[in-house]
Amino acid sequence: MSTQTKSSEIVLDYVKTIGIVNNGYNGRGFANPYDIAVGGDGRIFVLNRCDPLRASAIRVGICNLEDEYLGEFGRGFGAGDEQFAWPVAMVLDSRYRLHITDEHNHRVTTYDTSGDASGNASAKYLSHWGKPGTGDGELNGPAGIAVDSSDNLFVVDQHNSRVQKFTSDGKFIANWGSFGGGDGQFNLPWGAAVDKDDNVYIADWRNNRIQKFTNDGEFLAAFGNSGEGEGQFQRPTSVAVDPEGFIYVADWGNERVQVLGPDGSFQMILRGEATVSKWAEAYFDSNPEEKAERDISNLKPELPAHLNTPYHISSQTEPYFWGPVSVSLDREGRLYVAETNRHRFQVYQKR
Amino acid sequence: MTTTKREKSLIVIQLSGGNDYLNTVIPYSEGKYYDYRSTVNIPQNKVIPIDDHYGFNPSMGPVKSLWDEGKVAIINGIGYQNPNRSHFRSMDIWHTAEPDSIGKEGWLGRAIRDIDPQGENVLTGINFGRGLPRALACPGVSVASVGDLDTYGLFPDVQDEELRMFTLEAFSKMYGGAAGRDPMMELLGQTGQDALQGADILRTAPAMYSSSVEYAPDSLAQNVKSISQVFHANVGARVLYTQHGPFDTHAGELISHAKLWDEVAGSVGCLMDDLKEHGTENDASILIFSEFGRRIQDNGSGSDHGSGGVAFMIGGAVNGGTYGEYPSLAEAEQIEGDLRSNNDFRSVYTGILEDWLGLDAAPIVNGQFEKFDLFKS
Amino acid sequence: MISNDTALMAHLLRRAGFGANRDELESYLEIGYDGAVEALLNPSDPGNMPDDLIRRYHVDQSELRDLPSSSAYWMYRMISTSCPMEEKTALFWHGLFATGYSKLNQARSQLNQVEMFRRSGLGSFEDLLVELSKDPAMIVWLDNNENHGASINENYGRELLELFSMGIGNYSEDDIKGCARAFTGWTLGNAEYMSVRAAKDSIWPYGRIAWHFDYREEDHDDGEKTFLGETGRFNGEDIIAIIVKQEATARFVATRLFQFFAADEITEAGEKTIEAMMATYFSSGYQIRDMLRTLFHSDYFKSEEARFARVKGPVEMVVGAIRMAGNYQDPYLGIEGVANTMFYMGQGLLRPPTVEGWHEGAEWIDSGALVERVNFVAKELSNVSSPGVRSIIERLEAGADQGVLQPSELADGCLDLLGPIQVSEETRSVLVEYASRHGDLDLNGHQPGDQAEQRVGDILRLVAATREYQLA
Repeated sequence: MSTQTKSSEIVLDYVKTIGIVNNGYNGRGFANPYDIAVGGDGRIFVLNRCDPLRASAIRVGICNLEDEYLGEFGRGFGAGDEQFAWPVAMVLDSRYRLHITDEHNHRVTTYDTSGDASGNASAKYLSHWGKPGTGDGELNGPAGIAVDSSDNLFVVDQHNSRVQKFTSDGKFIANWGSFGGGDGQFNLPWGAAVDKDDNVYIADWRNNRIQKFTNDGEFLAAFGNSGEGEGQFQRPTSVAVDPEGFIYVADWGNERVQVLGPDGSFQMILRGEATVSKWAEAYFDSNPEEKAERDISNLKPELPAHLNTPYHISSQTEPYFWGPVSVSLDREGRLYVAETNRHRFQVYQKR
Repeated sequence: MTTTKREKSLIVIQLSGGNDYLNTVIPYSEGKYYDYRSTVNIPQNKVIPIDDHYGFNPSMGPVKSLWDEGKVAIINGIGYQNPNRSHFRSMDIWHTAEPDSIGKEGWLGRAIRDIDPQGENVLTGINFGRGLPRALACPGVSVASVGDLDTYGLFPDVQDEELRMFTLEAFSKMYGGAAGRDPMMELLGQTGQDALQGADILRTAPAMYSSSVEYAPDSLAQNVKSISQVFHANVGARVLYTQHGPFDTHAGELISHAKLWDEVAGSVGCLMDDLKEHGTENDASILIFSEFGRRIQDNGSGSDHGSGGVAFMIGGAVNGGTYGEYPSLAEAEQIEGDLRSNNDFRSVYTGILEDWLGLDAAPIVNGQFEKFDLFKS
Repeated sequence: MISNDTALMAHLLRRAGFGANRDELESYLEIGYDGAVEALLNPSDPGNMPDDLIRRYHVDQSELRDLPSSSAYWMYRMISTSCPMEEKTALFWHGLFATGYSKLNQARSQLNQVEMFRRSGLGSFEDLLVELSKDPAMIVWLDNNENHGASINENYGRELLELFSMGIGNYSEDDIKGCARAFTGWTLGNAEYMSVRAAKDSIWPYGRIAWHFDYREEDHDDGEKTFLGETGRFNGEDIIAIIVKQEATARFVATRLFQFFAADEITEAGEKTIEAMMATYFSSGYQIRDMLRTLFHSDYFKSEEARFARVKGPVEMVVGAIRMAGNYQDPYLGIEGVANTMFYMGQGLLRPPTVEGWHEGAEWIDSGALVERVNFVAKELSNVSSPGVRSIIERLEAGADQGVLQPSELADGCLDLLGPIQVSEETRSVLVEYASRHGDLDLNGHQPGDQAEQRVGDILRLVAATREYQLA
């Protein structure tokens, strides 16, 4: 269910849900998805953070809006090439290259997803760069990642409390930030985005706000503060900006997505309204007795007083976002919300 | 201690997660199989035929060879009434031989207690892997759990051998101290000494072992190799247990299941070669089981928890052949979309306990069950 | 020499917590024994590892879909809390009202039950039983979701009387029926769908759906019941009100608290203490906190007889060692493996083997478990790069005569700082002999990880391996 204020200039229609939990080692489904990147050719890349029991299955899955699971790549858990330990976020640049951060291996891994390199069902590993440290270009827990119109990469260096700018090959350009709550300071920042003017937005996770900077790191604005109200955040993890400048925020701690206007004004809140995905339907076809009980259940029940936090509510209410950790946009005005605890993403269409 | 006739040992390989029966022993001549398993099936030309109706998964080459030698018993449609599709609960049922209430003692724990009531040999039962499976648990019964045979024992993290020896000596002195004071200290002392003794003996096993068989590097093969080393070290181990998985193939089944059986069949093949080489082929029998089979209809990528599975008994002294019946795929015979089992797993336990280990089965499996004639006398 | 005050405080902290390093011990000594008892019994802000940090790095602990993640999640709480009594209390009730994952496949809901123990575990036993009866994990565990007005399921009604309060011999089969009837309609929301999912271990399609209490009035048997001699149209709360009035209940609660917090075996002096706790049970209106206060202030508890009178359970072993070493205070990749060691030792959090919980005391000890116990603790406490071990080294140096320790001083110092731990003469002499291997230990100018520090680590390892260390 979405709430829209009267002054809202934006309308988002729910489209569908894609996903199912994958308890196995390959094939359709996701395991704790942490980020999504949408290519211009209709392919949707989903980064599976995976849980430790299935860490050897850490991979990027490829699907599309027609619910086709095209393939996957990645070589599981570890520090070797194409392996990941704690993958966080990814971004596609203008040359079909997909850059993936790993906050435990302290590096960025690059794949070539162009069909020529690997066909539709996979991606070709190119390289990885980055090493642990505090010096320029060194990383301590790279989290969010974004790309500007020159294919420069912005990597959120969370434990170094800064944002670093690199070429798409990982050559250091500049950085800014320090630990704290003031303008241009960060506290365990997470997600990053770039708008059409090449301004940079950072989800300043523990400061419960979004900060906006020029391409060179000059502070422009900060949006939001701590709370559950409109325009407030509780541990925002991801941010995306559309061509009109609307700012989408994954308000993770509040289990919701908020949209702000280009000036930061509150526009709307999405709580999530997931439906049975195509893959889920196939599961229910094979498990009719479960489906029968589900059909007579109330999936949005009333809860007792002690289970009144957004987290607990979402844990009991399947359609709601639970662990909405990333917001991504495609070029047709669609919003993709990846939910790490529900192994799916919900798609909305901007009218 | 020399014996002219070696005591029989049971080796158990538990397949954890619910092994897919339909893709292990495949009813490849049955049209319904391909109807229900429209995606997750083994094509006819890939199946390793046992006969005109059934065949093995293509990864089970070594098992087929043993089958041809008459050393494989396939127990079809094994399970229990009112199947439970929860991993933990169903495995507990298999471990405690108690489908109807919560059992506390493992069937093999009880068996070990019957074999060695005074607990004279701390190595009568050994688990290869960490933590003790409920199957081996029984109050008062000492069972070693060997995570890694080469480093098994106390203070494995102490790299310096000399320091480690020195520390073990001190441990031995502390735990061998004055008895008869406090019952708790007494118990600790005795247990510590048992642990040391067990570790001392087990540590010699790899050194005493020699074989031309090369085991694969996967974890099951390495555990099975350890089983062979300990078995051939003649320490009096009568029950040797290990497990492999995860067989919980809800997605991407064809690839995972194939790999897992590659490992299981490979390990079993190597073990049987090893036993043969040592002339002990008739002294050990291998039980392979899982906590349930999987659903008849696939879910597009894998299969979900079902009931009614398959178990294997493999060994030189085993009466090869099929036992039980292959469950029908006809809708009328299914239990809510699952295979209907036709024999109770405790029948197999009874056969093992009575005919192989020479024990009284009924008290261990909580009842009388008609057994199969699984072993050559 | 170890002062009795210090030894007594260490004893209190082993029982009302997971033991204490010397810094913690000293801060409690500052407020004195009585002050410590009050502080422990009135947990305020636990200051544990923040939830948002845990969930950011451990996605699996955000979702809690599986058991290993859930054990690790609770373990984080236990190793980082500054209110250890709160966790010990939760652990106590978890062992008593043993609810197991195997049937539920619902870790989130089980952890909600644990949270309820934190919230209500030191308050009124009556309130606790009501909350327990409304706890959806308990409801499913003991089939109360199958307890309908039209067809009674007695499982919960029976166990409530047999295992959770009075105990066998204090009620009749008819009482069980009355009890079961009173709890009809006490179920969980979407009960049928949730049951099917539990039975099938279903995580599809979108992971687990957590549980909450639901009262179905139409399913409740509203008729007259007779229970323990009283008659009325009892609902669950009424039954509980009658249960808690019984002396058998008082004895049950007092005994179980005694065995968990005082001693595995009950001696004559222990029996008297239990009786005092029973009196407090009634005079305080069934308050657990008050009963524990009585216990912690009793002569028995403070006496030599009670020292080291319990075998540490695996959770206490693991958590105690980690807290002493000061490890894992930040999200750690691989924490599930650490949490699993408790399971390998025989006590898997959230998976008690049966509704009877774990059989404690001597039953914790078998050769497999003993090897796991010794190995884990020895490894934790011998690692000289751990903050807690470094602290011990610093204190040893500070207390040494010009920075040099004789072997006996080194052995005694380690025994002191890890506890103080009381050991037999035989054990001590082995420790001193071991420490004598390289003569006196000169800690002057010691550098991280050097020979001198390693020697301390080696002694700590051996102390951790003693028989006495197995006891609390």
